[in-house]
Amino acid sequence: MAAASPAIMPQSSENPAFLSVQGLKKHFGGVKALDGVSFSLLKGEVHALVGENGAGKSTLIKILSGVFPYDSGSISLAGEDYRPASPHDAKDLGVQVVHQEFNLLEHLSIAENISVERMPTNRFGLLDKQEMNQRARSALDAVGLTDVDVKAPVSSLGIAHRQLVEISRALQRKSRILILDEPTATLTERETRRLFEIVETIKADGVTIVFVSHHLEEVFAICDRVTVFRNGVSIGTDRISETTPDGVVQKMVGRQLAASTNDAGPSRKPGELALRLDELCTQANPSDKGISFDLRYGEIVGIAGLVGSGRTEILRGIFGVDPIRSGRVLQGGNEMRFSGPRDAIAAGIGFVTEDRKDEGLILEMPIAANMSLANMRAVSRSGLLQFSEENRRSRDGGARLKLKYGKISDAVSSLSGGNQQKVVLAKWLGRNPKVLLLDEPTRGVDVGAKAEIYAILKELARDRVALLVVSSEMPELMTLADRILVLAEHEIQGELTRPEFSEENILKLAYGQARQAGGQKQ
Amino acid sequence: MTTQALSETMPNPSRFSVRSALQNAGIGLALLALILFFSVFTEHFLTPNNITNILTQITINLVLAVGMTFVILIGGIDLSVGSVMAFAAVVAGKAITLPGFGPAEAIALAVVAATLTGVACGMINGVISAYWALPSFIITLGMLNIARGAALQVSDAQTIYSFPYAFEEFGSAMIYGVPVVFLVALFLVLVAWFVLNFTVFGRLLYGIGNNEEAVRLAGHSVYWYKVAAFTICGFTAGIAAIVYMARLNISSPIAGIGFELNAIAAVIIGGTSLSGGRGSVIGTLLGAFIIGVLANGLILIGLSDFMRQMITGVVIIVAVVLDYYRAKYASK
Repeated sequence: MAAASPAIMPQSSENPAFLSVQGLKKHFGGVKALDGVSFSLLKGEVHALVGENGAGKSTLIKILSGVFPYDSGSISLAGEDYRPASPHDAKDLGVQVVHQEFNLLEHLSIAENISVERMPTNRFGLLDKQEMNQRARSALDAVGLTDVDVKAPVSSLGIAHRQLVEISRALQRKSRILILDEPTATLTERETRRLFEIVETIKADGVTIVFVSHHLEEVFAICDRVTVFRNGVSIGTDRISETTPDGVVQKMVGRQLAASTNDAGPSRKPGELALRLDELCTQANPSDKGISFDLRYGEIVGIAGLVGSGRTEILRGIFGVDPIRSGRVLQGGNEMRFSGPRDAIAAGIGFVTEDRKDEGLILEMPIAANMSLANMRAVSRSGLLQFSEENRRSRDGGARLKLKYGKISDAVSSLSGGNQQKVVLAKWLGRNPKVLLLDEPTRGVDVGAKAEIYAILKELARDRVALLVVSSEMPELMTLADRILVLAEHEIQGELTRPEFSEENILKLAYGQARQAGGQKQ
Repeated sequence: MTTQALSETMPNPSRFSVRSALQNAGIGLALLALILFFSVFTEHFLTPNNITNILTQITINLVLAVGMTFVILIGGIDLSVGSVMAFAAVVAGKAITLPGFGPAEAIALAVVAATLTGVACGMINGVISAYWALPSFIITLGMLNIARGAALQVSDAQTIYSFPYAFEEFGSAMIYGVPVVFLVALFLVLVAWFVLNFTVFGRLLYGIGNNEEAVRLAGHSVYWYKVAAFTICGFTAGIAAIVYMARLNISSPIAGIGFELNAIAAVIIGGTSLSGGRGSVIGTLLGAFIIGVLANGLILIGLSDFMRQMITGVVIIVAVVLDYYRAKYASK
């Protein structure tokens, strides 16, 4: 993999690396989050980090910002060994992060949030509110929030404004390196342009900016260089002026997936109607139009769309997790009213949730116990557990999915991400579901396990199971699905059939009209 | 059955069990060390009389702690067990002294009254905290006051006495020097151990303590399992009330003050995690023994009751700090 493309690093003497990362590795249990990352930052540049979900960008940022220690490799900052013991440490050394998830205290005022790291005090050691509000004022002005009252609570702000408050908090302290983790994910086009102006300004002040984004047009709009990550490894660094979006995508995706995407496609014939959604509106859905589509036995339907476009909510609505506001779910012509997951499961539906750690698995419990969680009746007799039956079924389930494990009684937490995901699958496959809902089925899973999971899902479709797959990874949907529904703002923007599959077509629909004018710089 | 065959048929709570077995072994060693220490440094500790004493002293706490283990395993807490015990004892005291019943009927009536009272209180705790997803700390704090007030109201703040003689006999009966009431507690421990390790119900309680959402999405009614855990805790408070009445031959509305804290301490010292999902009722048994042996031994050694209380407090804190490191080690 290292030979895929030699890193182009301008190591000329007038431009020495400001921050240099060499052979960085980080493991979580059996999971290799980073498995050899090398790149460098030049002073005063805007440097993009790109890669699919789970490629290792977030872990790298957490290491740079002092959240995790690293296992091996080296980092040097301005020529000195850089090993921050805590986020506080990193900040003192001038490394600031604006995180993807918000770190704001909702019930405190904007001013208090902006000063929370170092509250100003007067000579009696009491909080100097005037100074605090002034600081907040100038910080907000710097990001263009001139009309926002600094005394208002953060909870009164919309998502985009919160993002800007967070950026202004990072900016008010002298930074040497400012890391922006997907800063535009929640911003409108106008706000994004404003952010880019701010980035240009601080770059002119000599601050080095790391820009993490899924949007290549943004990367090509404001970055100087780009480093691509794949499966915890840095694939290479290019100057933006010397590469193209296609070149970057090729590195991101790697050859394996690119090849499988282009295969002839499944020769599946959709059978009878499995589920019909008739203007389904969950409580999380703010729009009045519901979601309507059909799912047939033996087909895989993909759901694409940006985060927050309402993809997960559809699955949760079908499965009876989220209350339904209006509309219907029909199964074989009958309207189903699921009062909870129990009813959905009884109707032959399974749900592989997005977040296996929070929703899918009981990490501390044995593999076997997790596999039988949705199927307790099969492994018990009048309420008593039948351990030999449970072990037998679990070993069978593991063998079917080529699960790699030590003992079936080991805790699930001892497995790698890919194998954990297989346990979640096995839990549902043990029930022989007629309909399987999957939310990000391969998130944080390595390439090898990914391919195996794809094979399993395709086999299920051949066995006439109806599959509904939500994914942020477009190559994944294009590999698996017979057709893709693209969502934006809780509405289906369009449906693509296999011949129409392309990342471009999906993205066009996912961004709707609102974004179309935005990223035209190519 | 050979160990080989045993591990073939029931290996499954397994690494879970192995870990909790190791943990229990550690707590058992601590208990053994305490026993050794007091045997060496006091004359009377290891005498049949004193052992009987200890067993009698820990019985009520052990009964309460068994129920408390269920609640703490699902990540809850029940602060009301001491008051509920008093309330159940008062209700049962009223029942047992009703005129017109023979001793056998009166005792049966009292047992039913005490357990029903406990079950009702526990169920209310469970229903309210599970239905509205409220912290059980607050709900059971409310119940602590309600049950205490109810005990005082029902009894007119008077101690109830003159129970049938057979009842008193049961309270002081021995088999080979082992109090029968302690055997009752031990029986509860065994039943709880079986339920937690060998039934679907027990498995799901551990599951709920670890990851409630995963259990819910697997189609189980988390609500009812939580209600059941609190109901079991109320039930053991009812049983504790009967033991208390039989031991002291009275029902006092001010009995059991602070008992909830001892029960929680036994569970925590026994290695059950306050955040739920991890622990065992065997640990609870050992925890109750540690508290009982400490209390008894420290007095024999000549320390004041105040010192005993301070040392028990230190042990609780040490146990929780150890649990922190255990959890940290386990998540690695």
